[in-house]
Parts: sequence; C-alpha cells; structure tokens
Amino acid sequence: MASESISVIKLRDLLLVTVPPDPDDETVSALQEQVLRAMAQHEAKGLVLDISTVQTLDSFFARTVAETVQMVGLMGGRTVLAGMRASVAVTSTQLGLTVGNSLTALNVDRALDLLNAAPSGSRRV
Amino acid sequence: MKEEMNTPSKSPATVLGSEDSFRLLVESAKDYAIIMLDLSGHVASWNAGAERIKGYRAEEIIGKHFSCFYPAEALQRGLPEQELKAAAKDGRFEDEGWRVRKDGQQFWANVIVSALRDKDGTLRGFSKVTRDLTERKQAEVQIQQQSKEIMELSTPVMQVWQGVVVAPLIGSLDSNRTQQFMERLLGRIVETNSPVALVDIMGVPTIDTQTAQHLVETISAVRLLGAQVVLTGVRPAIAQTLVHLGIDLSGIMTRASLSAGLQVAFDILKLQVVSKDSSH
Amino acid sequence: MNENEPHQGEFRITSENDIVMARKVVRDAATTLGFGLTDVTRIVTAASELTRNIYHYAKSGVMHWRVLNSGTENGLELTFEDQGPGIPDIEKAMEPGFSTGKGLGMGLPGSKRLMDELTIESTVGKGTTVVVRKWMRK
Repeated sequence: MASESISVIKLRDLLLVTVPPDPDDETVSALQEQVLRAMAQHEAKGLVLDISTVQTLDSFFARTVAETVQMVGLMGGRTVLAGMRASVAVTSTQLGLTVGNSLTALNVDRALDLLNAAPSGSRRV
Repeated sequence: MKEEMNTPSKSPATVLGSEDSFRLLVESAKDYAIIMLDLSGHVASWNAGAERIKGYRAEEIIGKHFSCFYPAEALQRGLPEQELKAAAKDGRFEDEGWRVRKDGQQFWANVIVSALRDKDGTLRGFSKVTRDLTERKQAEVQIQQQSKEIMELSTPVMQVWQGVVVAPLIGSLDSNRTQQFMERLLGRIVETNSPVALVDIMGVPTIDTQTAQHLVETISAVRLLGAQVVLTGVRPAIAQTLVHLGIDLSGIMTRASLSAGLQVAFDILKLQVVSKDSSH
Repeated sequence: MNENEPHQGEFRITSENDIVMARKVVRDAATTLGFGLTDVTRIVTAASELTRNIYHYAKSGVMHWRVLNSGTENGLELTFEDQGPGIPDIEKAMEPGFSTGKGLGMGLPGSKRLMDELTIESTVGKGTTVVVRKWMRK
C-alpha cells in the first residue's frame, strides 16, 4: 500500500522519482527498493529524486536517501536531489544531516540538464 | 546653564558680596537641582532647579529623607546609603540612573554627591547636584534600538542577474542574525531560481569561529538546494583570521572582491560579457 | 493565537506509522501558534527524531504538547515520555554520531540544535523523558 504513493517514471535513460510530501518509514524503505529495481530493469544511467513537496527530512529519511545514492552509484548511476525546500535545507543542515554523494539541483529541469551534461558532476554535497 | 553663566559687564559679586551672590546663584539655578543633605540624608536646602526637576516645593521636602527620589529597585540595592558612604569616603560620588519625580514619573539623572567638611575636616553633610538627562538617555536608547533594527534588516538579498543573487553582509553576525540571514538567502534562491549566490563579507568587521561556522552551515544548506555560494569580499585580515582559526573553507569558492565573484557566477552560468564596441 | 484553539494535547506512540501522525499533530500545533515555516519544519523534524527514538528503543510512549507563554513571548513545549530501557549515559547520547540502535545518532543532539531547549531525564530500566521547547522569534 505504501509503495503506491511513489511513482517511478522512465525518461530515456534516466529515472524520475517523485517523493510524497510526508512519507512514513515504510514508504521511504519501499522507495529505495523500487528505485533500485527500476535502475536494474531499465539500465538507467541516472536518477532524479524530486523532493520538492517533502516537508520533513529527518535522519531516517536522510540516511535512506544517502544509502540509495550510494547503491545507485554502485550500479553505475548518478543521483540528483532536486527541489529541496529552503525550510528543509536549513533544518537538515542544522540537524547535521548530509545526503551523501548526491548532486543537487534547484528543480527537476536543472537536474535533467545536469545529468545530460558532461559525465563528471562538479556539485557534490 | 544659560543666563547664569553669562558674565555681565559688572560682576554681581562686587554688587552683592560673594556669599550672597553665591546663594542667589544656587537658588536661581534652574537646570541643576542643587540641594544639601544632613549627615543622615535629610534634605536641608532646596533650589529652583530641584523644584523644576523633582517636582517638590521647598516647604514640602525640607526635612524629608532623600531616599524618596529613588525607584524601588534602587532602594532595594541600598543605593542612597551607598552614595553617602562613598561620598564620605572619597569626597565625591558620581552616578547616572533613574530617579523618581514627585508625580511618580521617572527621569534619567546624572548625580554628583560631595561631602561637606568644615575647617577641622569634620563631616557636616552633603551637597547633591542633579541634572535631568532624560532626553539624552531617550535619544541614546532610540539610537541603540535603531541600530539594532538596522542590523537586523540590513541584509538584503538581491537578484542582480538572471540566476544570480547577491547578499552583502554588514556588521557583526550573531547566531540569531545568521539564522535569519540563512532563511532569507535560501528563500530568495528558491524564489528567483538562482543557481549562484554571492555572499559578500566585505562589511563584516571581524569573524570568529562561531561566525565562520554559521557561514559554512549556510553554504552547506545552499548546496542542498542545488545552488552554490561564492564568498566574496574576503579582506586580507579576514583571510588571516580564517586561516589562524583553522577554519576549513576548502570546497568553498572565495574571491577577494564582489566583481571577481560576479565573474565566477558568469562562468558557472556559462555567460560571457561581450563589449558592444566591435573594434575591440 | 485563537482563544478557541486547544493549548495542549497528547498523542500515543505505539506503531511506526505514529511517527508520521505525531509529525502531523506537531505541525498543526506549531502552525496554529504562529511559527514561521522554517521553525515549523525544525520543530516537526525534532518531533520526528524523538518519536522515532521512542518507537525504536521503548516500543511505545506518549508525546504531550502545550503552548507556553513567558509573559513576553509564546513557545511550544513537547514532552516525550516512555517506560523503555532508559539511557545509561546521557552525556554520550548527546554526542553526535553516537547510537546504540538503528539511528544515525543524530536524534538527540540534532533535536537540541533545532530547538531552543532540551532536557532529558532517564533512569535505566524505568524510562526516559525528553522535554524540548521552542520560542517564537520576534
């Protein structure tokens, strides 16, 4: 039931995943599973996590995201976190969270540009 | 302070005799409350200035204890007694603080209490000169408040180009102010969809570990959004301090001037400034 | 603040899904009280961390919230109470990165940074009470 709220969209060789606004732990874990399965299935070279509607990024969520970025990396893909809200960015920084080696972008458009540009990303967090 | 200080062509002392003229001077002085207290602090003399400043007429107050001029908080601290003690010991005591008028209103007073001793050095009483500095105090408080407000409001975040915002930081940065700044900067980056933010610290007088930490935090938060900060206006003194404090700014783009920072912003956005004059 | 709004409430934590529900309760309370969006996010995030701590370490517990008034400013107080195993070394638990469970070790120190005040009382074998407060910035 939880996994229904996540949509994984394939855009050429990229995946676009829209994260729901206030996911519970189960949904967050399901998201990781689904993303990894889709990565394998489509042999995607990159992943855009659209978090523009996410209201709360706590340590569990952040850890799962960081892990996912790492796992996607092992499968040869790069991840861009797109559209983090200003309030969430301030809070996460103050909480001491990092999102691993993820690239970041102001919105999905820029994230797609970033992944379609040269393979070596410069904006690492 | 006005007419009393003027020197007429004929000195009043020569007309009246020095003691009388001195008494007149004291009695008529309107800008200063000049009073005498006996050894235990009861009012022994009163002048026009005292009536104007404190609101009591001479017949109402002579013989009363001078502690009635103090607010409750000062009485609790035992300030009236301390003033007399200090004046008796050192000859003179000066203080600034709130005092109370007859109608209960408070005024900001400069007070000088001096010990009065006779020829043998025996303490006879005290003189007390009080000035009403309420207006000056109010002006000071107002200036303090205004400068605080200016400090808080003075961090505009301006969009200077499509995709570039500039935030000039001015004055000292405490954690509360930095937090507000961080929120405003991030909000503006999202609103204007700007991948580059130039944070100019030219106007920051000094930087300490905590301020630097706040800056680093702000820069990390901006990165989470998908934008990047170029720290500009890094003066030599600030650069020295940052290195001496051991603050790690590696991975953070810094430039000495705002214009150099703008160039970096253009590079990031893959923009080029071209002269219209084709001959160059 | 509307006089008709409740000034306190409580919420029981018994399942993982209650972490999301607790966030919602706290978000509503903080928003109603008039906190700005970033402060609401801070408070909700701290509540999420502390609720998850209860669920992970004690399995169940209670969160109380109430509106504070210091005379000059309003604030929100959240109390997280459980009858779990307790924290043997509170000082250590407040160090970033220290965790005995599944967490990142960010819960307690992170919540302290997000809130204005955080106090812990804990007895091993009896339980833990964490109180956090956030005051409204002028």
